[in-house]
Amino acid sequence: MKRGLAAMAAIVCGAAVLSGCSSLGVKPWQRDVLSRQDMLLNAKSIDDAIDDHVYFSKEASSGGRSFAGGGCGCN
Amino acid sequence: MQLKPDAASVRRRLIAASCTLLTASAARGQEISKLLTEVENTDWHLDSALAYYHEDGRVMAIEPLVNLSREYSDGETLGLNFTFDSLSGSSPNGALPSRAAQTFAGPSAKSLSSARRLYTTDPGQLPADPHYSDQRVALGADWQLPLDRLTRANLGGKLSYEDDFLSASLNASIERDFNQKNTTLSFGVNDENDLLHPIGGAPLPGSDYLLFEKSGHKSKNGVGALLGATQVMNRRWLTELNLSVDRFTGYLNDPYKIISVIDGSGATNGYVYESRPDERSRRSAYLENRVGWDQASAALSLRYMTDDWGVHSETAQLRTRLWFGHKSHYLEPTLRWYRQTAAEFYRPWISSSAGQSTSYASSDARLGAFRALTYGIKYGMQLDQRTGRTGSEFSIRAEYYQQTADSRVGGPGALQGLDLYPALKAVLVQLGFSY
Amino acid sequence: MAATAGHTRGERLVVEERAGNLVAVCFTAMAGPCEVLLPAADRAQALELGTLAAREAWRVEHKYSRYLDDSVVAWLHRHRATAVNVDEETASLLDFAATCFAVSDGLFDITSGIFRRAWTFDGSNRVPEPAAIDALLPLVGFDKLQWRSPRLLLPSGMELDFGGIGKEYAVDRAYDILAGHRSAAFLVNFGGDLRANHPPPHGKWQIGIERPDSDREAALLLELDRGALATSGDARRFLLKDGIRYGHVLNPRTGWPVPDAPRSVTVAASSCTEAGLLSTLALLQGARAQAFLEEQAAQHWLLR
Repeated sequence: MKRGLAAMAAIVCGAAVLSGCSSLGVKPWQRDVLSRQDMLLNAKSIDDAIDDHVYFSKEASSGGRSFAGGGCGCN
Repeated sequence: MQLKPDAASVRRRLIAASCTLLTASAARGQEISKLLTEVENTDWHLDSALAYYHEDGRVMAIEPLVNLSREYSDGETLGLNFTFDSLSGSSPNGALPSRAAQTFAGPSAKSLSSARRLYTTDPGQLPADPHYSDQRVALGADWQLPLDRLTRANLGGKLSYEDDFLSASLNASIERDFNQKNTTLSFGVNDENDLLHPIGGAPLPGSDYLLFEKSGHKSKNGVGALLGATQVMNRRWLTELNLSVDRFTGYLNDPYKIISVIDGSGATNGYVYESRPDERSRRSAYLENRVGWDQASAALSLRYMTDDWGVHSETAQLRTRLWFGHKSHYLEPTLRWYRQTAAEFYRPWISSSAGQSTSYASSDARLGAFRALTYGIKYGMQLDQRTGRTGSEFSIRAEYYQQTADSRVGGPGALQGLDLYPALKAVLVQLGFSY
Repeated sequence: MAATAGHTRGERLVVEERAGNLVAVCFTAMAGPCEVLLPAADRAQALELGTLAAREAWRVEHKYSRYLDDSVVAWLHRHRATAVNVDEETASLLDFAATCFAVSDGLFDITSGIFRRAWTFDGSNRVPEPAAIDALLPLVGFDKLQWRSPRLLLPSGMELDFGGIGKEYAVDRAYDILAGHRSAAFLVNFGGDLRANHPPPHGKWQIGIERPDSDREAALLLELDRGALATSGDARRFLLKDGIRYGHVLNPRTGWPVPDAPRSVTVAASSCTEAGLLSTLALLQGARAQAFLEEQAAQHWLLR
């Protein structure tokens, strides 16, 4: 459990770093690479949907990138 | 030395060109109010796939999926998705391998003697129902609406139907950009309502298998919330952090899973239905980094999850895309590592000397301690030239998934030497088409 | 349109009364002072016409800005390597840019804006390394676009910059709108690029062209009946190193400034777009600027 808390803390530190860095970023004309299809974070990938379904039915964890809960009876 | 256009004709061509430009503008009148251009594919964009999944010696599934999406000129997007999946094959029922043959009834049975279908497991084999079959149809919709230049709202819903399971869920979220759209914060909630009507009825948790105490329908409900932040680090690097919580309440048992009751000599004395708590809360943190180069990109994601059943898990996945031939095709290898601890009430078997117990117990391997590794490779090919539509693509993907149990406690007596935790090995092959 | 990143456009119009019964409606657009001159107009009428002109200037500026991320340019940049259908106005501008590219033998090129990553014309002596320019050369060239109205495919890494024609186009657009509302004389002037429909009641329009090195004393005083004037020059945008002056007009084929370009070229033509193109093309001719304008039989004024 302690190791788990440490891991959570490490990841949450990432959040602190993110919120503290308002000087990071690019100008609007520097978004050429970021706007590519393979770089878009929110692109609803069909591969992800299939993988998530497999992992939901074989493992005890789900979600992370989006909402957990599989909406199917396979777990 | 290149030929230059005739000197005097330069002016004539310029006059003609500027006249064309300005006359066209004037003819359109003063009603030019649209600032955005129309996208070529103002019709629906299609993403589809056909996936084939096969577990070594166990179930196999075929799953076609179709995603249709459309972007409107005011920034609204609408997505519709449809899935059908058909599972069949041999599904472990939770009982332990034994030195003797074991006989079970299919789920619809009211008793062993009157059962229409019985199945027998050979000595040393993992008990599994060989005629497991399930078909599922699911429909989903997603709508995103820009509220202003920096804020977007999202609404989505999903409906899923199987013989023994009906699920309806809704989600809503809002996101807002900051720092010249370099930072985006989002918050969302979702609600899921499931209705179970197991074949043969839902068993009384913890009851003796042979009593066949099963009845009617059950339900469960889950609510979740997600807080997300994405940050552009530099021209090539993006980071995303999501923190989420969810809580499910209701009938959380697997109605088809039983637990073997084993005595000191390793013989199976009987079985009981599993019994899980009627509440489960989970928390997870997810971190993803994407880096892009000119001909390649990579995404590394990490997830940590913990719940109040005692399960905590770590996931790490690396996906790399490599473009070839002026982005006309690509290869995308994937590697995923996963590890989870067992639920507090995970019991591969129950000892008969423990007597009647009212505590929770489940032998479902998915609640056990294990680690899993996935290796995958995908090949994609742009079809723009052939179909005349941008974003057209054909792809083929294959993945190999292997799950191996940690903490392999040996069975008592005669069970020593038997592999009580056989590894799960599965292959996924998928064909994809986008238009 | 030399907008700086911090530029904000105000929605304010100021009505001024000037000598000779001239009413001027002033506002800021495209990083400079803009005005509409209306002889013998009353305040209310002036404000109405000025608003029409200002709205059109802001509309064109917003639509083709390379700094705002809801502009058409930003949208096109987000859809690089994807074929898109552009709207009619953008299609006409791209057709016009294509003609200018052909007619100038590649010297006028709306994809050459990317050189600004290597060049900062701030009056200092920081001239870029040749390697920096060479790295950008593959990303420049209007012939690398796939353009056939209305379908555009902008390759990855390339940029579109309507700065070279945007201001003059905005003048002509505002002019057309006002011409539909007023038959009496008016003059539209966006930061030195201007157009008038006919002369004011008494005399002609008096135009002062600024001297490149100082903005206090007008170097040239011109009298204009009607038509358009456009001025191109390096008044404030240059680099000076080892006695060599690097003007801001770059040759898209080399990435380096055109040598011996005049400091300022003013051209008169019937439309501001035509005048603007001629003055830009003249600058691109460098030492041959005067000869080029004479060949084109264009009324011009050069300052070296």
